[in-house]
Amino acid sequence: MGTTPRAVRALILLAGFYLVALVVLGVLVGADAAAWIWGPHLLALKVTVFSALLGLPVLRGLFALGTDTGDGPEALPVGEPDQPELWRAVRSLAERSGTRAPDEILLTGDVNAAVSEDARLLGLLPGRRRLYIGVPLLTGLSEPQLHSVIAHELGHYGNADTRLAGITRRGHDCVLRTVESFQEQERKRIGKERSRQEKADAKRVRKGRKARGVDTGRTGLRYRMMAKPFQAYARFYLRATNSVNRQQELAADRMAVRVAGRDATASALREIAVLDAAHDFYRSRYALLGVEAGLLPPRGEVVGGLRHLLADPGRRSDLAEMRGELPDDEESPYDSHPPVAERVRLIEAQPDDGLGAAPARPALALLRDTGRVLVELEDVLLTPEARAMRRVEWPELAHRGMYARAAAAAEELRTALAAAGIAPGSPTGELTALLDSADAGRLWPVAGHLPKSPEAARATGRAAREFLRPALEAGTHRLAELALVETRGAYWELSWSERTRLRLPRAADPGATEEAVTAAVRALLADVPDTAPLRTLLAG
Amino acid sequence: MSFGIIPLTVTVLTLCFWLRSKRRAKRAEKRAAEIGADLLPPERQNKDRAFPDPEAEAVLAALSRNDWQPAAQALAAAGTDWERRSYLVGVIAARAAEEDAWLHAWQAARPDDPDAAVVHADAKVSLAWKIRGGAWAKDTSAEQFAGFLRVLREAREDFARAESLARPDDPTPYLLQIPLYMGLSAPHEALLGLWAQVTARAPYHYEAHWYALQYWSAKWCGSHDLARNFAAQAAATAPQGSLLTMFPLVSWYEHNDDEAPEEAYGWPEMRGMTEAALADVAMARPDHPRVAEVRHLLAYCLAKQGRHEVALEQFRLVDGYVGALPWRYYNDPAAIYCVVRGVSLTAVAAGTAK
Repeated sequence: MGTTPRAVRALILLAGFYLVALVVLGVLVGADAAAWIWGPHLLALKVTVFSALLGLPVLRGLFALGTDTGDGPEALPVGEPDQPELWRAVRSLAERSGTRAPDEILLTGDVNAAVSEDARLLGLLPGRRRLYIGVPLLTGLSEPQLHSVIAHELGHYGNADTRLAGITRRGHDCVLRTVESFQEQERKRIGKERSRQEKADAKRVRKGRKARGVDTGRTGLRYRMMAKPFQAYARFYLRATNSVNRQQELAADRMAVRVAGRDATASALREIAVLDAAHDFYRSRYALLGVEAGLLPPRGEVVGGLRHLLADPGRRSDLAEMRGELPDDEESPYDSHPPVAERVRLIEAQPDDGLGAAPARPALALLRDTGRVLVELEDVLLTPEARAMRRVEWPELAHRGMYARAAAAAEELRTALAAAGIAPGSPTGELTALLDSADAGRLWPVAGHLPKSPEAARATGRAAREFLRPALEAGTHRLAELALVETRGAYWELSWSERTRLRLPRAADPGATEEAVTAAVRALLADVPDTAPLRTLLAG
Repeated sequence: MSFGIIPLTVTVLTLCFWLRSKRRAKRAEKRAAEIGADLLPPERQNKDRAFPDPEAEAVLAALSRNDWQPAAQALAAAGTDWERRSYLVGVIAARAAEEDAWLHAWQAARPDDPDAAVVHADAKVSLAWKIRGGAWAKDTSAEQFAGFLRVLREAREDFARAESLARPDDPTPYLLQIPLYMGLSAPHEALLGLWAQVTARAPYHYEAHWYALQYWSAKWCGSHDLARNFAAQAAATAPQGSLLTMFPLVSWYEHNDDEAPEEAYGWPEMRGMTEAALADVAMARPDHPRVAEVRHLLAYCLAKQGRHEVALEQFRLVDGYVGALPWRYYNDPAAIYCVVRGVSLTAVAAGTAK
């Protein structure tokens, strides 16, 4: 079967979905009519309200009524007057892809790009088209690579050779939206019911009775029942159109190759997999490092700081290694994308178009006034609580963020020390007192105040000590770090190429301090405790 | 009236048979009490040991007083009796896995003592298992697994040290590493490498085969077939008296006891293995530290086969100690031991009570 007959089949199947929806709506209307004609008014009213509740998601899904309620990702719209270069590039890409240019361009904080369209009537009528571009993509891709990604996304919405493709794509979105709309209703109902029951339980407990527990099994059942025919049909539809969708993904890839070049397209696919990992790493290790301490990097850097990581020579070689290997993603029946590895293979098998991977500008160059855009984007992405956090420079963020984490990690041991009669005070005082206990042969009895699992609590002798060892070792390490900050002016040193590590002033190399702490803690926890290394470290 | 005579006759006959069997049972019971007078009740069975071992008891008593000297003397006395040596190391190391202050004292007094080094290493393995517990993997917590693996990895270094200090012909530090390989799921090639080190020094070492069989069993790193082949080959090639005929029985018991029908113990394969083990224990030196545990499993298998007279002989030779297979797999080893022993005793009594 060629592409067109496949697409026609998809269209027929889509019409079937429409039919299912109409039948369901017909049944609901019929029930209403019957209730009004034959039943008492109160019942008829109930039935009408009920069927309206059930029918609404169907209508919403089918006709895309009221779907424009910001269910898209949180994003910053950028207008043509502000970003003429970006718009010009997108328009030119749309033209070369043979499709309509988007009506809006929005920037997001994800490693992703997407085009969405609020098509109506099961995708038969076109609607407002939006292009979402993740700023991390702008940061990490070159200009031709970004072109290739956008051309791929636009390529889904119909290109010169498959007119029907656009319709099936829109239909696909519609079916998914209807199913999702049901699930969302169900979630809302369950959420409401849960909070209602929890409130009731709280009241019962306040009145001194036993709580009943929360059971939301039946709420949401109606919606599940209602969603069943749609979900069943959606599954059938998605499976049946899977091959056509895969064909379309590959066609979109070919479009991207034609518009942006073979090498740019293949390298963009490789790069996105790498960027995804790098971005996750960046968020947890850098951007959000100080969140527990109520700190964020300077304005615009929460999203924009990724460029420091990508620019670091050490990290660059790590990332280059990752580019060589492609991820094997597990395939979902709903995912229309063939595995990345397969797409890259197919693209790279195409003849050389001579465009090569010539050195090109980073895609971020397409943005005008980057700093301001990053700040505005942050305001859209961050929650009000996050926006209220203090902004500090990266080096300070690294130190204070790590300090807060160390303090949190040392908390368990400090509580245990307090329980053992070592009064909470300064980290240095507590560590010294712990060392004194160890010299008095009381290290493990003191450690016995650490929290224990049931297995640890049952153990005796050496086994009991081994259960305590990881928590004691980690806690002592953290406490020693806090003490070194307190008495010797140690600080956590920001590094874009390595872990952020504690460093004593005038320490020879960045790792030396951490190694010294590790070795000293080991000596303390050895079979015969030796407190000298930690004492020496503290004294300086 | 002539019809009434039949039920009457039946009733009277039944009564007679019942009374007779009752009397017989009573006589058998009396007889069993006579011939079993020397057998000990469950509460007098020692659960920690398979046989009386005054030397080990004395060593442990001294260790309770933090006196390591008798332990060092016992190991020195064992000399190149590798069976006795690894057995004693196991006994001492099990105690060191509980508390080890005396071991530190021993090592401080004799820094490069090979005996202390191998006890130290083997104690880590025992300790790892104490942390893990004996439950199936699914009932073992992540914390227990983490501790188990951490301590086993530490033990690797300790064994390397024990190897470097040991006599070149001493198999002990090698064979005691097999459980470590098992716990860390070492690949088969790695175990075969270690096994070559063991067998080059002691080709028919009982405890080495015991651990290796565990490694090759389905529940650790091997399969039912690998375990059975390993055991069969060991039994077939070892000289009589080395007690390696124990392992086909162990393998069979571990893989089949739960599922096989009762009569499976009487199948020719099992009978053949039992015969071989009987001949082997008869040839073993009387002070072999493992002969008692072979007798324990033999007694169980013989009882299951209905060979109660022979079973009872074995029971008599080990009575008073139940720290051996199969009893120690049960929650109350003494109770199950006495039940099985009782079955054999009653059967023997019934056979001789007429």
